[in-house]
Amino acid sequence: MVTLTAVQNVNGSGVLPVAGHFEARQRFYWRLLWPTLAVLMVVTLLPTLYLLVTSFTPLDLTRPETAWNFSRPLGNYGLLLEDGRLHDSFWTQAKLSFWTVGLQLLLGFLFALLLNSSSRLLQALRTVFLIPMVLPPIVVAIIWKVLYTPDISPFYWMFLELGWDVPALITHADWALTAIIVADTWEWFPFTMLMILAALQMMPEEYIDAAKIDGATVWQTTLYVTLPYLRGVLLVAGLFRLIDSIKAFPLIFILTDGGPGTVTEVTNFYSYIQAFNFSYLGYSSAITVVLVALTVLLSWAIIRMVGWGQGVD
Amino acid sequence: MTRADRRTRFWLHVLVLALVLVILFPFLWLLMMSFKTDSDIFAWPPVLVFTPTTDHYLALWEGNFPKSFANSAVASIVSTVFAMIIGVPGAYALSRTAMRSEKSLSLLILSSRMAPPIAFTIPYFLVYRHLDLLDTLTGLIIIYLTFNISLVVWLMRSFFDATPRSLEEAAWIDGATLWQGFSRIILPLSGPGLAATAILCFLYSWNDFFFALILTRTEAMTAPVAVVNFMNYEGWEWGKIAAGGTMVMLPVLIFSILVRKFLIQGMTAGAIKG
Repeated sequence: MVTLTAVQNVNGSGVLPVAGHFEARQRFYWRLLWPTLAVLMVVTLLPTLYLLVTSFTPLDLTRPETAWNFSRPLGNYGLLLEDGRLHDSFWTQAKLSFWTVGLQLLLGFLFALLLNSSSRLLQALRTVFLIPMVLPPIVVAIIWKVLYTPDISPFYWMFLELGWDVPALITHADWALTAIIVADTWEWFPFTMLMILAALQMMPEEYIDAAKIDGATVWQTTLYVTLPYLRGVLLVAGLFRLIDSIKAFPLIFILTDGGPGTVTEVTNFYSYIQAFNFSYLGYSSAITVVLVALTVLLSWAIIRMVGWGQGVD
Repeated sequence: MTRADRRTRFWLHVLVLALVLVILFPFLWLLMMSFKTDSDIFAWPPVLVFTPTTDHYLALWEGNFPKSFANSAVASIVSTVFAMIIGVPGAYALSRTAMRSEKSLSLLILSSRMAPPIAFTIPYFLVYRHLDLLDTLTGLIIIYLTFNISLVVWLMRSFFDATPRSLEEAAWIDGATLWQGFSRIILPLSGPGLAATAILCFLYSWNDFFFALILTRTEAMTAPVAVVNFMNYEGWEWGKIAAGGTMVMLPVLIFSILVRKFLIQGMTAGAIKG
């Protein structure tokens, strides 16, 4: 600490060689920063602008003359309001997001409570719980495709032995979305669990001790001390999962392909179909612009909540 | 520790071990399946004990899968290297200086990490059609930069924040230039951070499915897309699917364990320290 202030003093009085000058440093930092910013803008902002521009055209890949046709710039957006299949996809998305985020927070919380212990065995097991979350999403989808295929699934054998008549979930209109929710929850509850565990380890022990002295039971401590302490991290973890649930793709693509019918078709998936099955890139761009706006809004909420640079710890 | 405490602890361990088995079962099942013969895969009741075979892996090796696997590796590694070269100096500058528009920058970085892939796929697809970049590794490498640069800037910035400024200031007093302070003093000290960041970039690129699905056909097809294609040919080649899936997840499992401490930081673009 002492040396640091000393250096700063020398700095201020300008005794240091050129390298120490404030302005020289600012110029140097800016020279390092601008190439990074320039490339980042070119690869992310420019394409987003292009997406926005495309959304004002009726671009259809099978009809080249539709490119750069701005005669009805808001045509696609008008269509958004009338398209029933799109509205259904929003509703499907809402159900998927609600259940997956809710279940992941609940399971993550319960597992974090179980694993929050100084025991060496439990600490080693934490790493094992990472597996579902770090697996490539496509592998997760394959794993569940196997488990949901009655011919080869050990689950279906078990159901049969138990005398339960379980339909093939992913091809059943009433169950397909549930099947995806189960797989997605399995994949991502470790994420909420790890975030909650990190927060639990920062929690001052005095909180629990004080509650114990006041005669609180384990349940009461969890409900009235631990849970309120975790409010912030639960909210942020939930927001991250919420944004991520909007881009759900591999599970739906592999397990149900949006079906049966359109019951598992979320908005992101519908946009993909419009663009790359029907070639309506203009309309798909308009749908995607809405999704991007939603993502930016939710990201902004996260930044507001955690501040930047600093964590929630 | 009292006797009651010890008993609680014992049952807690039993419970957690049982839960670990339940949670890992789906993953282990796929792993086992990749070593089963076709008749064992379809055995009824399903078998837990079987004579392992490497037939499916050999079949993969003889087909086009090695090429897709190499494509995945090249695209992920090259994109990671470029993202590091482009992003690390900027991250250092951001860590050492205050910026007025920091809020907008954070938003740009987080949004580009969180945006649905289709948002980038549509414009890149349209541009690549004209530049002849569809179905090329170059095309994949560029689109992977959309998330990799953000990841590098955000993670490395928090690593640099944790490196004391007094280190480079001491070097300046000794006559080092600003650039030397960064390249000779700070960079060598940031080895673990650089390694963790590079591994996370590699994992994100390796795990990509959507970009490769849309932007590649045959030449630049990556391993995840190749595995999915086993589902579309005549009959489902479950053995090959399981073996291919295992090959795709193998590097991921190894690297994830190496960087487990930084995983959460990586997934939240550094907003949360794990």
